[in-house]
Amino acid sequence: MKRKNKKFQKRGSNSLTKLSLFQKNDGKFSKKCPLSVKNGPIIDYKNVSLLKKYTSDNGKIMSSKITSVSFSKQKKLTKEIKKAKILGLI
Amino acid sequence: MAFYENTIVAKQDLAEKELKNIIDKYNEIINTSSGKVVKIEEWGLLNLANKIRNYKKGFYIHYKFEGNKATLNEVEKKIKTDGSIIRHLIVKYNKLDTENEFFKKDK
Repeated sequence: MKRKNKKFQKRGSNSLTKLSLFQKNDGKFSKKCPLSVKNGPIIDYKNVSLLKKYTSDNGKIMSSKITSVSFSKQKKLTKEIKKAKILGLI
Repeated sequence: MAFYENTIVAKQDLAEKELKNIIDKYNEIINTSSGKVVKIEEWGLLNLANKIRNYKKGFYIHYKFEGNKATLNEVEKKIKTDGSIIRHLIVKYNKLDTENEFFKKDK
């Protein structure tokens, strides 16, 4: 019983931290897109606080592999980020 | 007729009167050339992310308007010859949302 409880806890917390090399990595990345939720944030070049989340410190656009944004939303994001860069907002 | 949004970045070292003149000037240009201004927003003095023409700050003015090709040509012509404007951006929209303001001042 104790063992089962331990396994359950590991999955619940950050499962990407491995204790040893031979441990099986059962960490799962969250695959749901954070932008395509109901009543989600508006993707627009005026919404600077949202766009800043998806750019690196050097101003590069982050890849959707890392942020797990869906394909259609990623296309929209890149267009809006480039618009904001023209105006000097980001 | 289609909907457009036009944002202008003006120089930081302008007096208040000159700024008002600029706002009124473009408001008139759009209205006279078969267009209609829906809303004007002043975002105020904001920091630029990187230097543009040796300026670190800029005054942002935002127009939401309805118009056709003639108005766009007229506005772009005037902006290009205006010395007190650093950057501008015109975006076409199918629908304008006048509710959300992302640059509201907190008093």
